[in-house]
Amino acid sequence: MITVYSIFLTITVYIFSRKFGQRYSSPLTSPVFLSTLIIIVLLVGSHISYHEYSPAKKFLTYLLGPATVALAVPIYKNRTLLAQYLAAACVGLLIGTITTILSALIIAKCFFFSKMLLLPLTIKSVTVPVATEVGKIIKGNVSLIAAFVIITGMIGAMFGPRLMNLFKIDHPFARGLSIGTIAHGIGTAEAIREGEIQGAVAGAAMGIAALLISFVIPYIIPILL
Amino acid sequence: MKKVLIFSFQLATLIVIYQMGSLLVRFFHLQVPGNVIGILILLILLWTRVIKVEQIDLAATWLLKHLSFFFIPIAVGLMTLGPMFLNKGILILIVLIISAFIGLISAGKATQSIIMKKEKVKVNYHDHSV
Repeated sequence: MITVYSIFLTITVYIFSRKFGQRYSSPLTSPVFLSTLIIIVLLVGSHISYHEYSPAKKFLTYLLGPATVALAVPIYKNRTLLAQYLAAACVGLLIGTITTILSALIIAKCFFFSKMLLLPLTIKSVTVPVATEVGKIIKGNVSLIAAFVIITGMIGAMFGPRLMNLFKIDHPFARGLSIGTIAHGIGTAEAIREGEIQGAVAGAAMGIAALLISFVIPYIIPILL
Repeated sequence: MKKVLIFSFQLATLIVIYQMGSLLVRFFHLQVPGNVIGILILLILLWTRVIKVEQIDLAATWLLKHLSFFFIPIAVGLMTLGPMFLNKGILILIVLIISAFIGLISAGKATQSIIMKKEKVKVNYHDHSV
């Protein structure tokens, strides 16, 4: 019964947030952020724990895998564009990944964060399913990793487009690459709303960043921390 | 009715490809997640024209339009981390926000400046040829 209620609640809140976000555009009406906030408030209000919500989560995220696979379609449709800007994409991806990890670690060390909090920072820009796998390899706390990754994705989706407007990053290819590299799937979902090119590039960048980081990070962690 | 059938068939195709990706990962003990392998499989199938874009477009476009939705139930899991965030939450948020901003700006700026250089070279080339 709680599961049926949770499923119904999640879908209704999502539809509402989408409509609301289309009418009132603001970082706070970004669908993932707004929906999550409302659902948590409603779950706490009706005394449902996350443990009781979990079966609904399993059901609702069943299609996340196939949806990620579907990213191949915009990548394929924009293959000539991607090939044309391949060099720019590789450089942007590397610079974005390196600067975000290093800046996070430097600030965190200034705050005297423990190793338990430093580890997830190295993979905070990797899409959730990849990050949790890499997390096991580097022996990090999986729920902490998931939290850092999701919050990073939300930050990218909420503020990324406005930040890029501010810094005059207006080329659709550069916008998609940047948000996909830093804010993975949640950022890609936002990029898809902005345009097809942005979405395709973001999806490709997310995949490449995930591959790159999952191969490299386990080996350079001892140097970084 | 016909559209529903086509949609369901395309959706089933995507599910099968995803499962194939996961199976390959488990079978060969790859350090890469199944969905990334799934993307590669579908790309190869599209490239070799085993699957044509039109044969998958309907379901793929619908799923991608609602990609945000699938992250919401996962994000709801943040509610279990209340105690930790009360303790160090503000500092964690500062780290995550500043580093995300730095990454977004440097990735975007770097990509854009290289694209612009490339396009300028093209324009100059044009000028010379004229």
